[in-house]
Amino acid sequence: MKEASAFIIKSVSIDFARLGKGFNLTSLTNPRIYFPLMALALLLLVPPFLSRYYLHILVLIFLFAAAGESWNIIGGYGGQFSLGHAAFFGLGAYTSTMLFHYFEISPWLGMFLGALLSICLSWGIGWLCFRLQGPYFVISTLALCEVLRYLILTQRWLTMGATGLSIKFKGQNPWLFQFTDKLTYYYIALGLTLIAVYVTYKIVSSRLGHSLVALGQNQAAAEAVGVNSVKVKQIALAVSAALTAMCGTFYAQYIFFIDPDTVFGLSLSTELALFAIIGGVGTLWGPVIGAIVLRVLTEFTSANFGEGLAGIQLVIYGGLLMAMVMIKPEGLAPMLGRFYNRIVAVMPGSTHGKAN
Amino acid sequence: MGRPTSMNLLEVKNLSKRFGGLQAINEFSFNAEEGKILGLIGPNGAGKTTLFNLITGVYRPESGNVMFDGQDILGMKPHQICRFGLCRTFQVAQPFSNMTVLKNVMTGAYCRTSDPAEAEEKATACLQRVGLAAQAGVTARELTTIDQRRLEFARALATDPKLILLDESMAGLNHAECEITIALIKKINEQGVTIVVVEHNMKAILSLSHYMAVIAQGSKITEGLPQEVVNDSRVVEAYLGKGFTKC
Repeated sequence: MKEASAFIIKSVSIDFARLGKGFNLTSLTNPRIYFPLMALALLLLVPPFLSRYYLHILVLIFLFAAAGESWNIIGGYGGQFSLGHAAFFGLGAYTSTMLFHYFEISPWLGMFLGALLSICLSWGIGWLCFRLQGPYFVISTLALCEVLRYLILTQRWLTMGATGLSIKFKGQNPWLFQFTDKLTYYYIALGLTLIAVYVTYKIVSSRLGHSLVALGQNQAAAEAVGVNSVKVKQIALAVSAALTAMCGTFYAQYIFFIDPDTVFGLSLSTELALFAIIGGVGTLWGPVIGAIVLRVLTEFTSANFGEGLAGIQLVIYGGLLMAMVMIKPEGLAPMLGRFYNRIVAVMPGSTHGKAN
Repeated sequence: MGRPTSMNLLEVKNLSKRFGGLQAINEFSFNAEEGKILGLIGPNGAGKTTLFNLITGVYRPESGNVMFDGQDILGMKPHQICRFGLCRTFQVAQPFSNMTVLKNVMTGAYCRTSDPAEAEEKATACLQRVGLAAQAGVTARELTTIDQRRLEFARALATDPKLILLDESMAGLNHAECEITIALIKKINEQGVTIVVVEHNMKAILSLSHYMAVIAQGSKITEGLPQEVVNDSRVVEAYLGKGFTKC
C-alpha cells in the first residue's frame, strides 16, 4: 500500500513537471497540442449555454464513459471479462448513500470508503479466481453481483430492500455533494472521466500495464518471463473496482435515488462492458467513444419511440453488438484514431509525418 | 571458498509425475553443468516437455528434487523461478501476438526492472543480440516463424537468465533457418548462458550439445557425450531406429 501511494505521488508529480516544462507558446502551433486543448475548451465552455435536457445527457455520457473506462482496465487490457461490474458500482452507491442516510457522513467521504470496500471485495474475488484459468472469473463476477443484489433486497431493515433509498435533499451544498444545477454535476462527471482516462493511461504505460496486456494475450508465456499473473490481475481489478465504485456514488448523488435492481442490475453490468466493446476493447478512448455512441442512441430511441416501443433500445443494443462483433471486432476507436491522425496531419502547424 | 571448475547449475533428482494412469516422468535425474549445452532427446511423448513444465513450476511433481543455483526451486511458481534466472521457451512460439516486438521483449525485461525506459533499453539490446532490432516496431503476429523464434530468445534473454530451457527450437524451420538458429544458440551459450535443449532434429542437437541425455517413456535411458549416445544400442532401439549410427 505504502509502495503504491509513493508510486502514485511520484508519477503524478513527474507528469505535472513534464507538463510545465513542455508547455511553451510555440508548442501551441502543433495540432497535437491545440486539438486536445480546443476539445477541452469546448467541453468546459459550451455546456453553460445548454438546456437542462442536453446537460442531463452529457452528465450520463461522462458518468458511463468513466465507468466503462474503469471496466476496460481489467476487462479490456487484462482480457479478464467481467459481467458483474455493477457489483462495484452498486457497492459505491450504497456505501455512500447509507453512510449519509444513517450518519449524515458526507458522500464525498463515502465515495472513498465505497472505493475502499470495493478494493477489498475485488481483492477477495481476484484471490479466488485468478488462480484458475477459464471462465471462472466471468461466472464469479456475475454471481458476486447477484449475491450483493439479493443481500440488499433481503436486508430490508437496513437497506429498505426493493423500495430503494432516497437521498434527502438539503439544497445546494457542495460539502454534501448536492447541487441544484446540473452544470456542476456535468463538470464532476467530466472530471471523473478524465481521471479514469488518466489512470488508465498511467497503468498502460507502466510495467503493470505491459504485464497486464501480455497476460491477457498469453498467460503461460507471460508467467514464463517472470510476470506474477495473480498479483498483476488483482491490482488491475482493484483499480478498476475503486473507480467504478466512485462512479456509483456519483450516480446516487445525481439521481438522488438508488434501488438494488438499478445499481446492481445485470443490465448495468452488461452496459459497462458494452461501452468498451463498441468503442474498442483495450483502447484508451474506446469506452468514452462507446459511451457517447450508446447513450446518444438510447436518448434518441427513448425520445422518439418512448412509450409505444418500450425496451426498443435493448433490441438496438443487441443488434449493434452483433454487428460490431462481426464487422469491427476491434471497435470504433482504432478507426477513429486513424481518422484523427489524418486530420491532424493536414492541419496547419503539423510536423507532417512525424507520429506522436 | 574456491569455486569448483565445473559446477552443476541445475540438478534434477528422481523427479516423478503421473497423469492419471500414465507415468509421464519416472524417477528422472539429470544435471546441467554451468556454461554448457545439454541436449535432451527422446521420441514423441517421452516426457520432454512435461519435464520442462515440472522444472519451471507449471506442474507439481509427485516426488523428486530440483535444485537451481544452490536453491531448492521445487514448488515455486513459474514467475518466481524466472526471477532466479531460469527461463524457458516454448515448443510452439508463444508471442504476445498483438503487441509489438519491442513490447514483447520489454515484458521479459520487467523481470529485473520496473522502469519502462530501462526496460526498453534492455529490450533493444536483446533484440540486437538475436538480430531482430530492425523489426522492433512490428506487431508480433506478423513475424515469420524464424523471427518468432528470435523473439522468444530475445524475450527470454531480457530476463537475464543463467539458464535457458529451449523446447524444440527447430520445429517448423527449414534447413537454412536451422543453421541460423544453431549459430544463435551457440552464440548465446558463449555469452555465458547455460542451455538445456530439447530437440528432434538429430543433426542440430549433435552439433549443439556438449553432452546429451536420452529419455523414453519418462525414464532416462542413457547419457554421455553425443557420439557415445547415438551409438548406444538402447538409444538406437528406442528412438533412432537401426542404421542411424552413420551420422
